[in-house]
Amino acid sequence: MTASAPDLSTSGGRAIFYDGSTTIRHDVFIELDPLALRIRDSGGGVLAEWPYDQLETLSSPEPVLRLGRAGNPALARLEVRDTRLAAAIDELSQPVDRTQRIERRLRSKVIIWSLLATASLLVVAIAGVPRLATALTPFVPYALERRLGAAVDAQARAGLEGRRSGSAFECGHAEKEQAGRVAFDKLMRQIASAANLPLALAAGVVRRPESNAITLPGGHIYVFQGLVDAARSPDELAGVIAHEVGHAAHRDGLRTIIQGAGLSLLFGMLLGDFVGGGAVIFAAKTILQTRYSRDVETNADAYGVMLMSRIGGDPRALGAILTRIAGSTHPGPKLLADHPETRDRVAAIERMAARGPITPLLEQKEWLALKSICSD
Amino acid sequence: MSVAVDSAQPTTPQSAAPARAKMARFVGRAKVFWLLLARGAVLLMLTLGLYRFWLTTDIRRYLWSNTEIADETFEYTGTARELLLGFLIAIAVLVPLYVVFFLLTLAPGEGMWSLLSIAIIAFLGQYAVYRARRYRLTRTIYRGVRFHQTGSALRYSVCAVLWWGLTVLTLGLAYPFGQAQLERFKMRHTFFGSLSGRFEGSGWRLFARGILLWALAIVPFLIGAVASILAIDWNAVASATAGEASWLESSGLGGAVVFAALSGVWLLLSLALLYPIFQAIMLRWWVSGLRFGEVGVSCRLRTGEVFAVYARFVGYVSLFSLLATVFIGMGGVAVAKLTGSLDSLQDEIVTTVLGLGAYVAVALGYSAIYQGTVKIGLWRCIIESLDVSNVGALEKVAAAGEAASPIGEGLADALNVGGI
Repeated sequence: MTASAPDLSTSGGRAIFYDGSTTIRHDVFIELDPLALRIRDSGGGVLAEWPYDQLETLSSPEPVLRLGRAGNPALARLEVRDTRLAAAIDELSQPVDRTQRIERRLRSKVIIWSLLATASLLVVAIAGVPRLATALTPFVPYALERRLGAAVDAQARAGLEGRRSGSAFECGHAEKEQAGRVAFDKLMRQIASAANLPLALAAGVVRRPESNAITLPGGHIYVFQGLVDAARSPDELAGVIAHEVGHAAHRDGLRTIIQGAGLSLLFGMLLGDFVGGGAVIFAAKTILQTRYSRDVETNADAYGVMLMSRIGGDPRALGAILTRIAGSTHPGPKLLADHPETRDRVAAIERMAARGPITPLLEQKEWLALKSICSD
Repeated sequence: MSVAVDSAQPTTPQSAAPARAKMARFVGRAKVFWLLLARGAVLLMLTLGLYRFWLTTDIRRYLWSNTEIADETFEYTGTARELLLGFLIAIAVLVPLYVVFFLLTLAPGEGMWSLLSIAIIAFLGQYAVYRARRYRLTRTIYRGVRFHQTGSALRYSVCAVLWWGLTVLTLGLAYPFGQAQLERFKMRHTFFGSLSGRFEGSGWRLFARGILLWALAIVPFLIGAVASILAIDWNAVASATAGEASWLESSGLGGAVVFAALSGVWLLLSLALLYPIFQAIMLRWWVSGLRFGEVGVSCRLRTGEVFAVYARFVGYVSLFSLLATVFIGMGGVAVAKLTGSLDSLQDEIVTTVLGLGAYVAVALGYSAIYQGTVKIGLWRCIIESLDVSNVGALEKVAAAGEAASPIGEGLADALNVGGI
């Protein structure tokens, strides 16, 4: 076992014994029998007899071998400080693990299992969480989604509105914006009645410079002023709104919240609880959520095309405005992109769009009014 | 008083050892601990933290089994499996609770609900602290007899939350009294076998030793804060927000920023310099108040020793930072060369993963250095500076108490209030 080739003929030696019922220290003599070690006190009386196959090694400072008896309700302890005797016991007893060989083997198993567990949790995060969220979403009552939407709305508004002075955040309320408001409502009515969703859509134009629109849980759609400015026809604006209605119809906002909660559980509670783990959690959540989001956008595009065909609008207008908007913005890192590449989106829209009759959604006068819904 | 010794024994029995022999020693080798920490850091990274139950258990085993009092070392019998189980149970308790909290924020009166949630988490945290202590004690064996802890964790958590609240409200002045009270509660319910523990440290004594520190750290900070508030002409600020120009000079905000910055710098500086002194005072006070039956402890820990521990930490951290900078710098250049030929998405994935890996490796490195210098250093200093009186009383204690469940540890881990 050890380099110094222990004298295995050792038939016994001195040790320290605690019987587990008191702290009294017994200086004992151990006899190594063929099947058990016998512990004798200084008077020669037998204090205990432990079969070798029931010995267990306990944590101890380095040269000391500390033994207990497996399954013993009392915490009896035998301490062997004589290395020769310790080696002899190790040789005789299969479970004794003086060199920690058994411990190392067990530990390798533990390491392999925890690596596997980590891998499996990652698979759950990538593949399981989105599916689970999709499966759970239909079970959430619309009343709860509306309430959730109200809470999210308060936060989102505070974030979007920022510190502003003068004109109101929402367009269409001032006197000279009334006509635009009427035109916008007309457009929305056509879209909403074609969509026929079980929850009421609430859409409005707000003063934000970006060419964008967002949908919150509960059917709240914010169309940014920048998008109205960028749109060259009612069909382009309607196309983007129809895409947003797709998010509402698929309850994407709600699903995103459920996904976020699932990821927080996986990455906040089960994994990532170590120094530096915060950054890993953040990165993993961001990358995974933008990944889910790309699929969601593709589905919303399909819905938008379907809805535009239904109201007699031009389904390809969505592709046109997307191309124009994308041309004016810098592409960010692909890993963090929450929308698919515009080229792919436009190609998909072209594929899906049926060639049907196109009827104008708004009259020219109404469209001009809508273009100036944010009067400033 | 010692057990009669067989004449066949040539060695002198320990009880007859020369006087002034050290009653307490730490016998662990530093290299073993560093290896443990290094392996732990690598595995923590690879398993995204799942390995922590095993690492914690290894560290405790090392600390306990190398701590020797009256020629006998302690033993830690807890297992990583127990910690994992406790953690899973805690998750099962906490997840529904968090769901309820989330739903409550949607109900009317959300401010009230979130306040209630914070209060519940605070209580649960202290509850976990007490239960975790019970787990650790019942896994601590000395001379074949275990420690144990009684007392209601619920009562402890109420007391602890109230005392911490009071401490915050009094800017720390209530801290010594709260600590004394909580420690008395803990030790009154702590037993080594049949030997009951108690705590004899007094809040007033700690107050007297610490008040100068408090004055040095908090008072200038307060003066700075008050001065910066007074320096501002609030009317000017109010009119400035209404849209008037050149308000920075007229409001005196510039002066306030200077005051605030000065007091902030003072607070940071004093924390860095005074914290080791504070820690030394606390440790001496705490350890010297511990009693088990007639067995008393006193601690001669010198403040200089604590400073030395932190100096070692700072030295190691500087060296590690230097090495990490060089290594990551060279790695960055190599990666940039390698990814030059990749398409942008692959390039992003490679750089993100490597960047994160480097960040985590450095963070874990700092953590390991902290454990390997400060944690073990303080432990060693305390143990080596102990004087144990009436040690004979430790030799005739009867066994009592049962092993307690690890749920408290799990809760403490999930709520991030864990101790050792």
